[in-house]
Amino acid sequence: MRLIGVAAIGAALLLVSCGRSKSELANNTQGKTATSGAVTPPNNMALLATAPPKDQALKITHDRHEAMEGLGKAMKNLHRELESGKPDINVVRAQTATMAAAAAKIPGMFPAGTGPDVGRTRAKPEIWAKKDLFIQKSKDYLAAAQAIDAAAKAGDLNKVMALHENVDKACKACHDPFRSPEH
Amino acid sequence: MATTKQPVWDLPVRLFHWLLAALILFSWWSVKNHHTDWHMWSGFGIVTLLIFRLLWGFVGSSTARFSSFVRGPRAIGDYWRGRWAGIGHNPLGALSVIALLGVVAVQAGLGMISEDEDGLYLGPLAGLVSTDTSDKARDLHELWFNVILGLIALHLIAILFYRIRGKKLTLPMITGRADLDPGTEPMRRGKWWVALICLGVAFGFTRWLVAGAPPFSP
Repeated sequence: MRLIGVAAIGAALLLVSCGRSKSELANNTQGKTATSGAVTPPNNMALLATAPPKDQALKITHDRHEAMEGLGKAMKNLHRELESGKPDINVVRAQTATMAAAAAKIPGMFPAGTGPDVGRTRAKPEIWAKKDLFIQKSKDYLAAAQAIDAAAKAGDLNKVMALHENVDKACKACHDPFRSPEH
Repeated sequence: MATTKQPVWDLPVRLFHWLLAALILFSWWSVKNHHTDWHMWSGFGIVTLLIFRLLWGFVGSSTARFSSFVRGPRAIGDYWRGRWAGIGHNPLGALSVIALLGVVAVQAGLGMISEDEDGLYLGPLAGLVSTDTSDKARDLHELWFNVILGLIALHLIAILFYRIRGKKLTLPMITGRADLDPGTEPMRRGKWWVALICLGVAFGFTRWLVAGAPPFSP
């Protein structure tokens, strides 16, 4: 009985490490798939057609990271402001404007050849493998960000509060399938 | 030598132990699978458990009380040389108990002031610190989990080590009873209603923290 107990905790602990190595493994395989994906002929979907040269690709992933970090910062500031008890509409407005502007740029920030096979990025190969879905998710987020921005511009705090959850959901709906965990 | 089955761990200690283990596992699983809300509730559960255990460590059964097992270096030395007889945590194991409780408490505290990287989830006490501090707390929260894993590994290795030497530790943590040499001082049981009060206080205090620790002024 006690051995079963020990074995159970041991197994649980093993699961912890197995879970990790599995996801790493999965990431690696995805990375390889992307490598082969990057050499496929260019196409004229919403994502940029031809793969850029390496130095340009690295600059794109870097700028993209900065842009998304700026967007994340606005999301954080907005959440804090709304939870503060007495939100300042001007602070709210500044964040939603940043969010709507950044959201509009998302689809153009992921040209082919800027995936994890090229450089350090948390963009998953699925972005290019399931391009249409990715574009749809980024549009959903844009719509949510524009709606909350309109409410903020109109000075309607109650509506901002009501729309906030939609923005969060749209953000998560795209990040869960298309972004790798933090490095 | 004739031995008899005697109570060593009361029900609150055993429930605390297994619930804590389960919630740590669940916390890890939920956050890895993007269930940040479940992860947070699991953390609040752990905070409740920790507060309960702290209180029970002062007013609980004899083997649950810190005063009965937290000892100095001399007692640890005596234990090392085989000069220790008693029930409950031995003086060396006590260090492990304190360390485990401590690292889990630090982890819970870091979680309470953290925010996720997208600003979707705010720890209940994140409003008390800046965005930068919350972000740093989240990074530390992630790193600190490795410290917890290390101590859990040590904990399991110690259990295996004792098992090889013929001492069973896991079964008593399930049944609450162990073989004791005759003449060993038995466990003095805590009162069930005191345990309920501790649990009530732990729930209440955690609720207050989850509400963002509002001031008590009217």
